[in-house]
Amino acid sequence: MSTFIKDFIEREKLSRRNFMFATAAGLTTAAMPGILGSSSALAGHHGGVAMAWSYRDRASAYWNAIVSGGEAYVESLGMKKSDMVNLINEASSEKSLADIKAFLAKNNGKGAIACDPNDSPNARPVVEAVRDAGGYISTIWNKTNDLHPWDIGDNYVAHLSWSGEKPSEDAARLLIDKMGGKGGIVHIGGIPANIPAIERLDGLKNALKDNPNVELLDVQSADWDTTKAAEVMSSLLTRYGDNIKGVHCANDNMAYGVIEALKAEGISDMPITAFDGNPEAVDLVMKGDLLATVFTNPHWGGGIALALAHQAAIGAFKPSEEPNAHREFYGPSILVTPDDAAEFKKTYLDSTPTYDWNDRWGLSAGQIQYK
Amino acid sequence: MFRNLDIKAFMPVIVLIVLAVFFTILNPNFMSVRNFARIAIAASPFLMVAIGVTFIIIMGSIDLSMEGSVALSAVIFCFAFLFFGGTLGSGGWVAIIVALGFGAAYGALNGFIHAKLLIPSFMSSLAMGFVGVGATVLLTGGGIVRIDDDIFRMLLTYRFQGFPLMVYVAIFFLVVGIFIQKKTILGRNLYAIGGAEDLARASGVPVLKTRVLAFSLAGFYYALAGVLQVAKLGQAESVTGANLMFLSITAAVVGGVALWGAIGGVVNALIGVLIVTVINNGMVVIGLPDYIQDGVLGLLVIAAVILSTNRSAVKFVK
Repeated sequence: MSTFIKDFIEREKLSRRNFMFATAAGLTTAAMPGILGSSSALAGHHGGVAMAWSYRDRASAYWNAIVSGGEAYVESLGMKKSDMVNLINEASSEKSLADIKAFLAKNNGKGAIACDPNDSPNARPVVEAVRDAGGYISTIWNKTNDLHPWDIGDNYVAHLSWSGEKPSEDAARLLIDKMGGKGGIVHIGGIPANIPAIERLDGLKNALKDNPNVELLDVQSADWDTTKAAEVMSSLLTRYGDNIKGVHCANDNMAYGVIEALKAEGISDMPITAFDGNPEAVDLVMKGDLLATVFTNPHWGGGIALALAHQAAIGAFKPSEEPNAHREFYGPSILVTPDDAAEFKKTYLDSTPTYDWNDRWGLSAGQIQYK
Repeated sequence: MFRNLDIKAFMPVIVLIVLAVFFTILNPNFMSVRNFARIAIAASPFLMVAIGVTFIIIMGSIDLSMEGSVALSAVIFCFAFLFFGGTLGSGGWVAIIVALGFGAAYGALNGFIHAKLLIPSFMSSLAMGFVGVGATVLLTGGGIVRIDDDIFRMLLTYRFQGFPLMVYVAIFFLVVGIFIQKKTILGRNLYAIGGAEDLARASGVPVLKTRVLAFSLAGFYYALAGVLQVAKLGQAESVTGANLMFLSITAAVVGGVALWGAIGGVVNALIGVLIVTVINNGMVVIGLPDYIQDGVLGLLVIAAVILSTNRSAVKFVK
């Protein structure tokens, strides 16, 4: 082989490799805000710190609310919504990590990130990458129990999660009251291994402990899915028939399926509780089709997670000087019932409350507890 | 004479009967009109998807676009329904035509990309499925579109002979599917292409046109599934078609439609859909814990395929 050809191949290899590196580092982050309507490829800076939210996708009301909170924070600084970079991981932990590294590389480490790491094991590599690059990060939902912000340092500002157990228990108690304190309940659950699914079922079980006349007939998973919940509910009717006096659902989407499955049978007075506080669910509570749902204020959660990271990055507070209850805390939850659904809708859904993002822990529901 | 009778052809039906008897023994409630109606409601949209993909599988191709097609058709149906007044009486019926027309066009585009641009159907249809889901997210902004029209919802709530109207709609389009498969040139050409595309082409079968038409027909059936999903749940969103890809192809294969083409047909899809739906219903009815249901479904599918397909005639598996 002539040296010319060898050189050529070598050069091509190198330039392709460089191109791939450049793609991985730059284009994923640069392209994403482009698709979502951001005008500038250069992220907005405030105090010299670029801001980003890393999350799964835009395909649900929940994540849209999270993002709206982040945008509200950015706007509260007098910047444009589009100055917050959207790092969409499409439920891929690898992409989540790669996007965050690329974002920090592009901004020379001067970045503040809020992030759902997609799954628990991914949280550690993500926060370590942020620490090594000199950026600041808050996480929500997913992290392993042995990972704590105070062990990583100031760069891992805080972790925010929501406990499903207590609110789910409150909903269950309301359901049992409505049933007159007796009869059979079925629980339609999420994907069995998901922590929220486990917590929400535990909440129901707690409420059952002091209600001996209520029997938990069955627990069936419907994978958080409306269609599957409808099918599971109709099959449960075949098994238990009129013995079912109440339905406890682990989220709103499954409750919609349950309501429709019952509607097909001409049953309209079954008390049903749900979780998430989505706008459609609140409407159903107002109509009386749903007894209750639980609102976790994702808008505030999305805003405060970004605010904490950013304020730590610009030196507004020093995370290591805060107590642990400020570094790992639960977000708020509100039980939405027929009595207050209209008021709730007016306050939280028809308009968005304006939050003081400097009141960093005002809505915290306490330090995260590990069982 | 009986020696020539191919018992394998009847195996899917036998599997279905065995399953029904098995579940009935464990819980007699299984064998009741009310439970059959529940199974039929679950099966109706699902059957439409399975019939659609069966046309493609007969042709020896595969279509993986159904999750996107169903969701997009369902969302377009809901938006059109609301645009035309939000009730069936005020002109909402136009939305049905819009949705079905869109489904057929989307399917035709899918088929065109595959057949004209010579992209394997596996890849082109999978990509079109993603496009469909993505477009649905854009249209809905990640939210839910609800239909609250009592007249349209009579498809679910009004019963005739114990079964909701949507079940009769599904049966009607099942018959249409059988007719297309058996009595039309398109139906026969699908088998010709699935059997041996070179021979079909040499015999003058317009392969490109047939492929595009077949995908268009499949798209029409996916849109039907979308409309029935809305009838069933009163809402559409980007995940309205979720799980239908695996389930519909599984159902077709379990029912005796062979993935290598030209074997089986719409009736096999029906039996397969019933088998899968009966398994899903029966597992809950007999009280199987939820965490082992997926595993049991997988095992039963393998068992059903072993019993119901004539694998000795197959020279190779790919």
